[in-house]
Amino acid sequence: MPQANTHQYASFFGANDMGVYAYIIYALDHNIQIQRQLYQPIVPLAHPTAVMLDSAATQLVNNRQVQAFSQSLFLNGGMFSHLSREDRIRTLSALDNLSLDLYLLPSPFQNNAGLIKFVVDALNRFAMFGYYSEWPAYGTTRLNQPNNRKLEYFPLTWQKIGYPGVSFGYRAFRGFLFTMDEVEGGNENRS
Amino acid sequence: MKTDPDVIVIGSGGGGAVIAKELGELGINTLVLEAGPWYGNKKWPEPNKTKGQAKESSDPKDLDGSLYRQQLTRLENDMNDLVTGKFRWGAADRRRTPWYRNIPDQAVLWQSAGIGGSTLHYYSNSPRAFPDAINNEWPIQYNELIPYYEKVEATLPVEFAPTTTKDALFYYGADKAGFSENRTLDVTTIGYRPQPNAILPPNEHLMDPNYSMEELSHMEGCTLSGHCGQGCPYGPSLEKMAKRTTAVSYVPLAMETGNVIFRPNTFVTKVLTAYSSSGNRQIVGVQVRDTWTGEMEEIRAKVVVMAAGCIETPRLWLNSELPYNPWVGRGLTNHYMDMVTGTFDEQTLMDIVGTPSVNPFVGHTSSARLDYPGLGMIEIIGESPGLSAQPLFGFSQHGYNLLKPTDSDIWDLEGRLVGSELEKAMNDYTRTLTLSVITDDEVLYRNRVELDSNIKDEHGAVPLVYYSPSEKSKQRREQLAKIATAILRKAGAKTVHRSDLPPNYFIHLHSTMRMGFVVDTSCEAYQVERLFIADNSVDYNALGGPNPTLTTQALATRTAKRLADKYF
Ligand SMILES: Cc1cc2nc3c(=O)[nH]c(=O)nc-3n(C[C@H](O)[C@H](O)[C@H](O)COP(=O)(O)OP(=O)(O)OC[C@H]3O[C@@H](n4cnc5c(N)ncnc54)[C@H](O)[C@@H]3O)c2cc1C
Ligand code: SF4
Repeated sequence: MPQANTHQYASFFGANDMGVYAYIIYALDHNIQIQRQLYQPIVPLAHPTAVMLDSAATQLVNNRQVQAFSQSLFLNGGMFSHLSREDRIRTLSALDNLSLDLYLLPSPFQNNAGLIKFVVDALNRFAMFGYYSEWPAYGTTRLNQPNNRKLEYFPLTWQKIGYPGVSFGYRAFRGFLFTMDEVEGGNENRS
Repeated sequence: MKTDPDVIVIGSGGGGAVIAKELGELGINTLVLEAGPWYGNKKWPEPNKTKGQAKESSDPKDLDGSLYRQQLTRLENDMNDLVTGKFRWGAADRRRTPWYRNIPDQAVLWQSAGIGGSTLHYYSNSPRAFPDAINNEWPIQYNELIPYYEKVEATLPVEFAPTTTKDALFYYGADKAGFSENRTLDVTTIGYRPQPNAILPPNEHLMDPNYSMEELSHMEGCTLSGHCGQGCPYGPSLEKMAKRTTAVSYVPLAMETGNVIFRPNTFVTKVLTAYSSSGNRQIVGVQVRDTWTGEMEEIRAKVVVMAAGCIETPRLWLNSELPYNPWVGRGLTNHYMDMVTGTFDEQTLMDIVGTPSVNPFVGHTSSARLDYPGLGMIEIIGESPGLSAQPLFGFSQHGYNLLKPTDSDIWDLEGRLVGSELEKAMNDYTRTLTLSVITDDEVLYRNRVELDSNIKDEHGAVPLVYYSPSEKSKQRREQLAKIATAILRKAGAKTVHRSDLPPNYFIHLHSTMRMGFVVDTSCEAYQVERLFIADNSVDYNALGGPNPTLTTQALATRTAKRLADKYF
């Protein structure tokens, strides 16, 4: 089994430079908590997810559906990080479609189609939300617990796409198409 | 010694806060138990950080608009993150994980715990149900609901949304696509309208440069800031905030009656019953757990109202081992949603709306709609960037556009976008208009909430959720997606992207404790005396497509009266 490196999956969005991988890891590791006999363990999903990606990548490489580079994108990176961006997407897609041998995947994903679909989807959603929300702009405080984060600058993605951020409001009123006074039953009973 | 309340209401969201206010006005002592935190109450100045000194609050003087403003930061990650956001389904303490629901599929189940419940993040769209979806289907008639609709519309209050650029563009496109304006509250024909929203109309000085925007944000009325989903802290005081989550509308009114106590951070883990002399199961009270300390307690009452929402109400029934009913948790509907996004070029926009951008984040988040009885509805969604990118380009049953380009000639792009496709789509953000497709979803017995027999959390077995749409719902969604796209094209969109959202996207949940199956026409459980339900779960069906909350609030108003007449 190739060694898992949890840092590798954010890179396929080009989002790794903003540290979004750390957002994804946090989200995966803080998603599920269940009751055991006397305590309530959190079920950390980031590490097994990374192992799943490597394991899926290995299957696709072995079946010649994707091609591995000899160099990894990361130090000690697993098989997933030896793939091109498009092949990494192919790997995610194969997991999404459950079109590989689910028996070969690590626990808790082994033969667990529902969890595979849930987590692979969550990887995509978390990457989007991590990258396009204000999360990266929490800067050095971004991995603090949520109450102790502070915005350190204006989010770069917001600047890039033209979202002005928190606003008191806009002078954008163009009138009403119609109001409650103008529909039957609208305002008759109001004081 | 403190006396037991007459009525316990479980949950202070869309329905719970409404029935509490109505009961309070009828002079009935009511205790509302809410699992989540309380924003804007002086007794919990740091609601996510510490337990606070107090257990409960009933004095309207405890409410504080400036605290609300400080806590509702209007930042989407801080407020809406499903794992750590202030409006999440989880305990007040955000260091902890959210409360788990097992949905074995691609899924987002979006609810919020807290005083206000899921109306903390809702967009306040408050349309009535389609009359035809009630008449001949529900065990009650639409006419019976009208006086209650009117009462809720006046109390929230509801007003049609003001027009901003995105609405002007939508109306133009809808008109060109052959639809006409529908000037009504009771929708029986196809047409477009501004959203009837539980949002105060803009202040009369909004366009007057003599008032700064900051000043205006402290005055009464919507400032068109577009933060509805992040919670709206704009207004002169808590009770006058522009967006009418029940936390600022019905909760303060309930406190004003002097008969209602709200207790946050309190998770009900069991409804307690006993056999009456006539051999029927009847209410004794509830068992609760403090979400900060884990302390357990029993509280007794004559009547219990479940208003914990479409997932937790059936879960609580099942975890309480209330009598078997094959329909408990069954018949779940979710309006099988989809989204299409049109991108416009500057010149087209200049020609049609006179500005080079749409700026979808300006104005009410959801501000205009097309009603289509028989199919459902279409409405504008103009969210902030992260909350736009996530469902539009990151959440799809289609797969990746890169690997599987759309095979339809209706859409230019379909499914998840990555790399340069994503970058392009988001770089055009200010020139986009997104329409949400909301389907009149058929009730099916197989769609359900049940208990996961393998996984428990601190409140008992967790909910396991299954949903897959019927063939009819799929066809209706397809038709609506095409109509929405036609509106965008007629408005001049150069490219249109279709999300093809997965079925397990839960924004509007209904009908898991249906009237006529689990509750009677007064919303009292058939099998347990003095147990009522006042949330979206009592809906008989998905209302024909309209957003659920106003109907829940009308029914809760009606249920309060019936409950009081019968037992007090
Ligand atoms: C992004 C978004 C936008 C939306 N916009 C609209 C809109 O514009 N219009 C519309 O009509 N609908 C909208 N909705 C849906 C709307 O939020 C719901 O229809 C509405 O809030 C449902 O009311 P409810 O009473 O059934 O449940 P909720 O509002 O979810 O209230 C349930 C309450 O019960 C509490 N609770 C649950 N279990 C327990 C327990 N065991 N013990 C104690 N407390 C408990 C919860 O914490 C919660 O406060 C939107 C939803 C989302 C996600
Ligand atoms: S647009 Fe929404 S958030 Fe902004 S002031 Fe109006 S109601 Fe409040």
